Amino acid sequence: MAEGSKRVLIVDDAGLVRRFHRDALGQGGFDVAEALNGVEAMEKVLAEPFDLLVVDVNMPQMDGISFLKALRRQEGPTGAVPVLIVSTEAGPQDVEAARAVGANFYLVKPVRPEVLVEHAALMCGGVR
Amino acid sequence: MNEFIEQFLIEGRELVAQGSDDLLALEEQPGDKQRIDSAFRAFHTLKGAAGIVDFTAMAETLHAGEDVLSAVRAGTVTMSPAVTNLCLACLDQVSAWLDEMQKTGEVPADAQTKANEVVQRFSLVTDTSTHAEAEDDAASRAPDVLALTPPARQLLDAQVRLLNDNGADGRTARWLSAAHVAANVLRHLGHVAEAGNLERLAETALSAGNARAVADAIARTMESVSAAAPQGTAGAAPLADQTLRVDVKRIDVLVKLAGELTVAKNALGHLARLAQDETNPARLSVALKAQHLHLERLVSELQRSVVDLRVLPLQTAFQRFPRLVREMTGTLGKPARLMIEGASTEADKSVVAALFEPLLHVIRNSLDHGLEAANERASLGKPAIATVHLRAARQGEHIVIEIEDDGRGLDLARIRAVAVERGVAPSAVIEAMSEEEASALIFAPGFSTAAKVSDLSGRGVGMDVVRTSIERFGGQVTVSSRPGQGTTVRFTLPFTVMMTRVMTVEAAGQIFGLPMEAIVETVRLPREAIKPIGTASAFVLRNRTVPLIDLGQALGGKGQTSGPEATIVVVKAGGHIGGLEVDRLGDRLDVMLTAPDGLLAGIPGIDGTTLMGDGRVLIVLDLQAFLQ
Repeated sequence: MAEGSKRVLIVDDAGLVRRFHRDALGQGGFDVAEALNGVEAMEKVLAEPFDLLVVDVNMPQMDGISFLKALRRQEGPTGAVPVLIVSTEAGPQDVEAARAVGANFYLVKPVRPEVLVEHAALMCGGVR
Repeated sequence: MNEFIEQFLIEGRELVAQGSDDLLALEEQPGDKQRIDSAFRAFHTLKGAAGIVDFTAMAETLHAGEDVLSAVRAGTVTMSPAVTNLCLACLDQVSAWLDEMQKTGEVPADAQTKANEVVQRFSLVTDTSTHAEAEDDAASRAPDVLALTPPARQLLDAQVRLLNDNGADGRTARWLSAAHVAANVLRHLGHVAEAGNLERLAETALSAGNARAVADAIARTMESVSAAAPQGTAGAAPLADQTLRVDVKRIDVLVKLAGELTVAKNALGHLARLAQDETNPARLSVALKAQHLHLERLVSELQRSVVDLRVLPLQTAFQRFPRLVREMTGTLGKPARLMIEGASTEADKSVVAALFEPLLHVIRNSLDHGLEAANERASLGKPAIATVHLRAARQGEHIVIEIEDDGRGLDLARIRAVAVERGVAPSAVIEAMSEEEASALIFAPGFSTAAKVSDLSGRGVGMDVVRTSIERFGGQVTVSSRPGQGTTVRFTLPFTVMMTRVMTVEAAGQIFGLPMEAIVETVRLPREAIKPIGTASAFVLRNRTVPLIDLGQALGGKGQTSGPEATIVVVKAGGHIGGLEVDRLGDRLDVMLTAPDGLLAGIPGIDGTTLMGDGRVLIVLDLQAFLQ
């Protein structure tokens, strides 16, 4: 992947979804990393900076909502990293729950690749 | 439209262009006194012109811009990006009004409302710019030209909601992330100044627990940004160019020629009398020949002068690029400078008008794919600000236009691989190609059809479209590149373009062109009105028997004897009249004919070929050959 691209962390337990999102964002010019659940995501976020997290809600070990709650308790830039929730749940209560813990935006699966890339680029202020 | 308004539209557009030029130059060199004066004059003159045609709203709008520029001249306001954006937005509004006036001939009805909006935004800068804090605020409302896309709007709305949520758990991080995302959205759409202002505001306001201030600033910025974006002014093709400004000297030449033609005509009258009286045919012939030569010279001179009238400086096509490049580099986050040379080079009006799109395509490709990202440039030791040259020069009977960037150059290995993958040619052929031939693969149809696979080869988005549009004018496109040093795309175009007007018709499932000058009329006749004469057929048109040729059959296809009515084009060529039966009538087009070559060369009945808009070849028939 091209150097200087914005770094995106995909957090999803489903391999197919991770791959789909990775391909879309990778083709869109982003530098992509992956995590299988909230615990793994937290480890990665604490270890290195990301420009955007694309996070699923229903995951084993630590779900998206708990992860986000824990994330926003972090001090400094780590806690304030932009988060895009991508979930199969489309109910208003689901969207509201994510917003309440500090999700910056919510998209419902399946997300078309160009839609994902457009939102990621907007939220990162560009691809580079 | 009355003459006043016509003149106003022409001059108005020139002044808008002048003003934009000056403002962009000032962005590079904010202290350039001459440019400030020139920008001021452009606004001032435009304002005066608007007053003359009773366009009060436009005059008020320009007055606001003039005020700011006058303060800049006096040194009380600095030429900040916010001021530049405001002035450019003002000119955009004027330009949109001029387009509307061109269509309707009248002052647009909602002009006053729009004028008030622009004027109000100006008042923010002029009132508060002396206080640093207030300037931040004003600049955060400063408009730019890109409208908010629906996802951008939704994202910004979501951030405003996050900021308005006072829940204690993880509050600071939540707010910071919201401010950060909002700034990023603005930055991605090119509103760089607004994004910076928002971030600065968030830094102080959020640590003081004042998320509401940030939420309000986002809402305000959304308002001003959408209000300031007159739809598509920056990129849309101008409506102008139905009128032509002509150098007075060129008109003088025509007047002189008209005078000489009158003298020549009188001389012909004299010859006619001589022919009546003169008994010596040899003497008459000498006099006639001399007169013929004289007329020939005058007519060819007239032809040249008329072509000259159609000549425009390329400036008309080039002038929008500095602005567009500024916007594109902002969006892409790749600082680049456009250097224009030879904008005064002249070319045929139709060429100049058709150049904008292909140039835009190539320049956009250069910025998007040709140039490396800023940090990559830094690691390569290249200047941080990339340079794209746009050059034009006349070379004999040709115009040469070059777009040169100092980016990474073409990745020939990738281009070969992609060409093989897309099946442009067999892989053995592609592998055997020279570097030059491999570079040219980017123009191959089908090379870049898979839409936006970005970062492919440093190039390749729709270059076949560029090639087609340049070839339509009998031009050529070539590309050359040096790895790591840059890419140059070169258009070579004919200086004069002789257009032929044709009508397209469909016969035997194919489309053909018929020269308009040969077409007398088109008629529909009931089948029984067509009478067989021997092996051929004919019909009667106003007491005259006209032979009928079934075009499809004549061209070796299937005839069209079905259907109750026949569609017939009556043509006249070489002193013969005839009817051509066709399946369908098509459009009228102005095309540039090229002599038939390759397989078509030597086939009688073909006048020439031309490329149509969709890239298909249109065969234009030589009707004289058909009728004999």
